Amino acid sequence: MLQLHDVSKKYKGADRFAVRDLDLQVRSGEIFGFLGPNGAGKTTTIKMIVGLLQADRGRIVVNGHDLAKDPVKAKHSIGFVPDNPNLYGRLTGIEYLNLIGDVFGVDGPTRARRLDYYLEMFQLTRAAGDLVQSYSHGMQQKLALTGALLHAPALFILDEPMVGLDPKSAHLFKEIMREHVDKGNTVFFSTHILEVAEKLCDRVGIINQGQLIACGTMDELRQSSQKTDLSLERLFLELTEDGDNHGK
Amino acid sequence: MVTTMGNRLKSLYLALLNVHYGWSAGKYYYFKKKQRIWEPLVLVVALAPAAVMAVWFLWSMTDKLFLAGLAYGEPHLSLAYGALMVAVLTLFFGFFYVLSAFYFSSDLEILVPLPFKSWEILVAKLGVVLTGQYVINTLLLLPIWIRYGLLAGVGVDYVLSALVVFLTLPILPLVLASLFTVVLMRFTNLSRHKDRLTLIGGILFVVVVLGFQLWMQNNIGDGDPEAFLEQVLIQTDGLVRIVGRVFPTSVWAAQAMAYSYSAQGWLRLFYLVLASAVGLGVLYLLGERVFLQGVVAGLEGSKQGASRAVDWKSPQVRPAFWTLVNTEIRLFVRDPGFALNGLIGYILLPVMAILPLFAKNLSENPFEFLTQQEWPPLLLIGGVALFFMVMTSMSMIPTTTFSREGKYLWIIRSMPLSIQEIIFTRVVASQIVNTLGCLLGLLPVAHLFGWSVFTIIIGTLLGVFLATALACLLIILDLSRPMLDWVNPIKAVKSNLNAIVGLFGSMLLTFGLGALFYWNFQAGQLWLVPLELLLACAVLAFLGLLLLSRFAPKQWQSIEGGI
Repeated sequence: MLQLHDVSKKYKGADRFAVRDLDLQVRSGEIFGFLGPNGAGKTTTIKMIVGLLQADRGRIVVNGHDLAKDPVKAKHSIGFVPDNPNLYGRLTGIEYLNLIGDVFGVDGPTRARRLDYYLEMFQLTRAAGDLVQSYSHGMQQKLALTGALLHAPALFILDEPMVGLDPKSAHLFKEIMREHVDKGNTVFFSTHILEVAEKLCDRVGIINQGQLIACGTMDELRQSSQKTDLSLERLFLELTEDGDNHGK
Repeated sequence: MVTTMGNRLKSLYLALLNVHYGWSAGKYYYFKKKQRIWEPLVLVVALAPAAVMAVWFLWSMTDKLFLAGLAYGEPHLSLAYGALMVAVLTLFFGFFYVLSAFYFSSDLEILVPLPFKSWEILVAKLGVVLTGQYVINTLLLLPIWIRYGLLAGVGVDYVLSALVVFLTLPILPLVLASLFTVVLMRFTNLSRHKDRLTLIGGILFVVVVLGFQLWMQNNIGDGDPEAFLEQVLIQTDGLVRIVGRVFPTSVWAAQAMAYSYSAQGWLRLFYLVLASAVGLGVLYLLGERVFLQGVVAGLEGSKQGASRAVDWKSPQVRPAFWTLVNTEIRLFVRDPGFALNGLIGYILLPVMAILPLFAKNLSENPFEFLTQQEWPPLLLIGGVALFFMVMTSMSMIPTTTFSREGKYLWIIRSMPLSIQEIIFTRVVASQIVNTLGCLLGLLPVAHLFGWSVFTIIIGTLLGVFLATALACLLIILDLSRPMLDWVNPIKAVKSNLNAIVGLFGSMLLTFGLGALFYWNFQAGQLWLVPLELLLACAVLAFLGLLLLSRFAPKQWQSIEGGI
């Protein structure tokens, strides 16, 4: 579903790569957790996958479409929610959702069914007619999630999706992610909450200083570290500390 | 270590000043990332002619007022006028600056929870507004003061007095604007109606501009500068007396400088400093008591009331193209900051053109050529087409289309749309607004002057073609360097270099084509006008298509901001 081949990115004026030679394969029907300390390159990688940043080197393939050569088809397969979803404040919630629905070509009955489902689930039905600028941060997050799921994307990409959600919404959202992959779709998300990643993800990738330092299922990661009883948190700390030391 | 109050206030003032003028952001882009270094240069080149003209006007006005005032025994008349002009402008615009800085700025949510005293935030914010006013006043006052100094042969005492006057002159008008605003916001909670207030302010501004225009039309007389000056001087006595009552500071400022060699001058300077100090003291006391309460009430007021019912069970499905066009127009007209700045020209320009009809001396007014001469239809067609073209850049809709997205740009960039599709929707949106806006202004003018329907239709058609081709180029201009880092959306249109460059370019094109049409008129070859319009349209369209296919896709992918 998602392939990254030797992807690198260096920001203008920066003295080191934000992401370097990243190789990653995410399969259809899995929840993939993308972990790493602050500034490791998670958001940069996600922005490159969704076409908000251009990779300096390498190839990104989404659902069989090369992002550089055919960005429109690649983006058709993606539903994206950034870590801080700034939405047009002067549109109403329903106007924003209809914009997404029209652009992604979601037909009327399907749109009505999905809106009914997600708006009810996220308790946004009463606020859907209000301007987005009157929403709280959590409500905007839920509206962005609804928008990203409206066209049932084959690849659902989220940057820190749990931030700003109340416990009930976070719980619902985890169920949505599982439901989404059960239909054969893929979820790729970054998070700092290792407990969520450990419980929810089929596979995780750990990035540090722009490079992928570990990737696989929890069992595979434990085996590679030769410590079978290690929690993801302990594993994460060991791996990223190693990376930091190597970096020094 | 406990930070002293003075240091704290200084830090707050410098931080607010930095954010307001984007110093750190500028340093980051210009020096660290070494990007957009040409921007300040272009800005200087674009604004320099206006600044030179303003300085020249003030310089020659001082000349005339000095000589005329001398005859009345009041050579310092120019100083009084300069001080009055600054005081009135500061008071009028100060109200909007203060309202925006004190109550509508987005940094209040950060500042209010910090351990600042109410008056510290108030004074720091006033300091930022005052600093901006000093910059404007430098341009307005220096030419007058230097010219007066040269004519009157002044000494060091004049320079010293001028320095104190410069520092104190804008304080009292700004304090008055602040007092009014602080009291108003404390007891009315107008923050709840921020959009409406902005709209009313904008309309008020238009009324003042039009009123001033009409006053000038009726008072300039027969266009003879000497007669105009005489009329001004006849009114001056009364005017200065009125000003003296309302704004004694401007009279004190003039007298302080003119009589800086005597005790009388220094006494006036003392009055000025004392009045400013008293004003600041009153503001401090009031600020300490009510400022933060008004701000907090405003922050509460920004939340909406009852939710509006909406039917999502039968959504209205539209083609993506029209939804994108519709969204672009909605987002533009729903923001009063965008709408006022962009749409005001559609009303202001035609009204200013027909205003002479209501002036007293119609036969001598500068718009005589419009009202009393029969113009050939082909020339009118050219004029109408150029009106459409220049208005599309004046509206700033195409030149700021990506800049206005700011941190929302990620939405459109993550959609499955090619940049050509996006630009196409933006061109159509801008041209719907432009065509409606132009017709709104044009039709009454055409009716008043009795222009034929055929002329209007052909002129409009050619104008729409020309404006569409130009809009595409202007949108690509904004794409080449979108201004995405803004906190206040008004900055995306008012402080956007793309808008200035776009306007400057289309003005040049308008003057060029206008001159060509006039030459056709003189040479008796007006049949060339429609052909020249079509040729200009073809050249612009070719350039647009070339950039659309070669430059736009690469640039669209390389943008790094907007999230």
